[in-house]
Amino acid sequence: MQDKNYYTIDPQGKLKCMKCQVPLVKGKAKFMYLDNGFPVELPVCPVCGFVYVPEELALGKVLSVEKALEDK
Amino acid sequence: MIIEERASTHVYHQRRMLTQEELAQKESLCVHEQPAYCSASCPLKLDTKEMIHAIAHEDWTKALNLYGKIAPFPHLLSRGCEAPCEANCKLCSLDGGDGISIHKLEQAVAEFGLESKGRKLPRMKKKKSIAIFGSGLFCLFLAGELHKKAYPVTIYCKEENIADFLSKETAFATDEDIRQTQIQLEKTDIQFKFAAPVMDRISFDAIDNYRTSFDILCMEYQLAASLCGTLDYDEHLVFSRTYNLVTANTSGVLEAAYAAKRAALTVDRLAQNLDPANTRGEEGPCETSLFTDMTDVTPAPSYLASGAITRELAVKEASRCIQCHCDACIKGCAYLSHYKKFPRILTREIYNNVSIIMGDHMMNKPINACSLCGQCTFTCPNGYDMGEICHIARENMVSTGKMPLAPHEFALMDMFFSNNDAFLVGKQPGFEQCRYVFFPGCQAAAIAPDTVFEAYKDLCSRLEGGVALILGCCGAISDWAGRYTLYQDTMDFLDQELANLGNPVVIAGCPTCMKELTHHTQLTLTGIWDILSEIGLPSSAKGLSVPAAIHDSCGARGNSHIQQTVRKLVSETGCELVDTPYSGDLSPCCGYGGLTAYANKEVAKEMTEKCLERSDKPYITYCMACRDRFVREGRQSKHLLELIYGTDAGAPPDISQKRYNRLNLKNRLLTEIWGKEIPEMQCEFKVTYTEEAAKMMDERMILQSDVIQVLNHLRKTKEAVLDSETGLSITRMRIGNVTFWVKYTETKDGYLVHSAYSHRMNIITRQ
Repeated sequence: MQDKNYYTIDPQGKLKCMKCQVPLVKGKAKFMYLDNGFPVELPVCPVCGFVYVPEELALGKVLSVEKALEDK
Repeated sequence: MIIEERASTHVYHQRRMLTQEELAQKESLCVHEQPAYCSASCPLKLDTKEMIHAIAHEDWTKALNLYGKIAPFPHLLSRGCEAPCEANCKLCSLDGGDGISIHKLEQAVAEFGLESKGRKLPRMKKKKSIAIFGSGLFCLFLAGELHKKAYPVTIYCKEENIADFLSKETAFATDEDIRQTQIQLEKTDIQFKFAAPVMDRISFDAIDNYRTSFDILCMEYQLAASLCGTLDYDEHLVFSRTYNLVTANTSGVLEAAYAAKRAALTVDRLAQNLDPANTRGEEGPCETSLFTDMTDVTPAPSYLASGAITRELAVKEASRCIQCHCDACIKGCAYLSHYKKFPRILTREIYNNVSIIMGDHMMNKPINACSLCGQCTFTCPNGYDMGEICHIARENMVSTGKMPLAPHEFALMDMFFSNNDAFLVGKQPGFEQCRYVFFPGCQAAAIAPDTVFEAYKDLCSRLEGGVALILGCCGAISDWAGRYTLYQDTMDFLDQELANLGNPVVIAGCPTCMKELTHHTQLTLTGIWDILSEIGLPSSAKGLSVPAAIHDSCGARGNSHIQQTVRKLVSETGCELVDTPYSGDLSPCCGYGGLTAYANKEVAKEMTEKCLERSDKPYITYCMACRDRFVREGRQSKHLLELIYGTDAGAPPDISQKRYNRLNLKNRLLTEIWGKEIPEMQCEFKVTYTEEAAKMMDERMILQSDVIQVLNHLRKTKEAVLDSETGLSITRMRIGNVTFWVKYTETKDGYLVHSAYSHRMNIITRQ
């Protein structure tokens, strides 16, 4: 069965992990808030696992989901 | 210090915030939905206010529709009604003006009203049939009422035709009224048995024969009385149980119409085999506790006092109606205006919000948006306290684990900062025991540190017995957030510090602190305004050169002594004061109170704007938060202590500067008053901010200290991402409940920050 993803971002080689000096790749991550989980695909460092959350995502979708959950 | 976030959205326990009795008692204070005075005095319960509103807007269809609901024959009723409503019109209370001519407006509705064009839903006739014996207004109105209720009605009368039938008891009516009523009657399916033989030889036996054909019998009172002398019947139910007969002894048009209405209800209940005395609902005129502010209403004469009624004059007369309603609370409060809800409705919705277990809690935002300022307790004629409701709801949500931390976390962390890193307690040098302790409040230290410094120096030099100092937070923030345990901890902490000082007299610099500190029972409290009023102003005191308006602090609400003392001090500085509406106890909140500024910036901004609407003059405040918010909105504003000590706090500081100011003030006091050496804090690297980044951080409530922590973390872990498109590096760190991200470029001695953002969600990798 295919995994459900709420959001997908493909870094397309534009992002590089400065610690591991490798490009970030599309990887599996999960947002957790107030005991709720949301599987997503975000730019992840294939070596150290650093997950990058872009500004637009943090201030857009993430913020609106946070607010919605805060009203639960 | 970390405050624990609520564990889950799946919280299934609850606690009632109020008992049903308490809720009902509180709701009953809000009179917004009470009927207008005119409607309340109408036994037929005409929605007079709405009908007049329709006339004023030339909606003659709606006006007739409303009037038709209580008047089966509008021409007759409107002509003959005794109109007790007119005497109750609120405009009658104004000298030199007339009340609304409601009676004539009703006549206008009967004359100019338009029948609804829409197709009415077909109504099934009811199976139970009714016979009415006799004639006169009661019988006519009753037939009309029963026809509206879809009962088949048959009228037995002596009269030989409908014109004769209508002529009885209608001497007040014009020929046109009779003609129109006749047309209306002919459109109905009411059956007439003119010159009915039964009417010539009427007796109980004769009448009883009709019980086989009809389910319920009604009779003109004179006829019924002639059958049995004194008729034993219930005047309210208009029903004789002995004779199983519906009848009413009435005099006057309104009384006949009201009796017919009651009789129709009695028939309705009898038709359903129910006792006519039970569950009848509210009938007749009622008391109203509506409050209508008449301050801005000017008296005016009626347009319909004499002469013919025309459409135009009726519209003009209806437009004079002030549409009595109570919005005393909403007019002064940006919070209630924002949500467009009256306290009773808001309270009920908040109560339901707190009571539900599953689903969306739509009222969480309104609960956290109230400034708890207490203005409504003074604007409402019954003292409704919306702030109390919101505060109880907040405490309830915190105690049941349903309060999200996001709205209040920044403010609570700020309180911790004030009572930890920036906290200072000290006795005046040279005094083992101080008679006083100055408590300027956290906002004064954050916004106007130099003013606090000068005030403390002045108090030390002019008060006898020594003055200690406490820089810290009074606990208002945790109180407002509904965090009872934290508030109790803060109270205990301050109690301990005050006890260590020997419980001196506390000189509060802020009315809100003073109000909060009254919860410490063992304290003797005074305000700096009282001290300065007593010892006189220092030579530095100088008022504004232009007239100014006072903005009263929420903390001083209900305390005319503080309000007057402040005015006296401001006048002594030579400043001319102007009067403004909504001053004193009616003063609105600046938007800081109740943590609105943190929980709901939009409402807080509206609150500030509401304050600034009151006057176009510069404002003098005696709460530093008010001063800060007004200056932020571009209005010249000074705190009382700035005038007295000749200081200028200048442009409003951003959130980081506010913390820096508190730390800096602490260090300055320690150095200059207590002669301590403060080691300079050395940072390994220098952080600079683009102008855009600094502005956005203030808006996004991201502190420079947060950014420095993130960059320190970067230096330890080297964890960062380089965006080849922008050339910016991005790093992050989770601090407490928030993940902070910083976009930066490296400089020769540190970092230049281009942007910072945060989210509360935690991010983890998965397989």
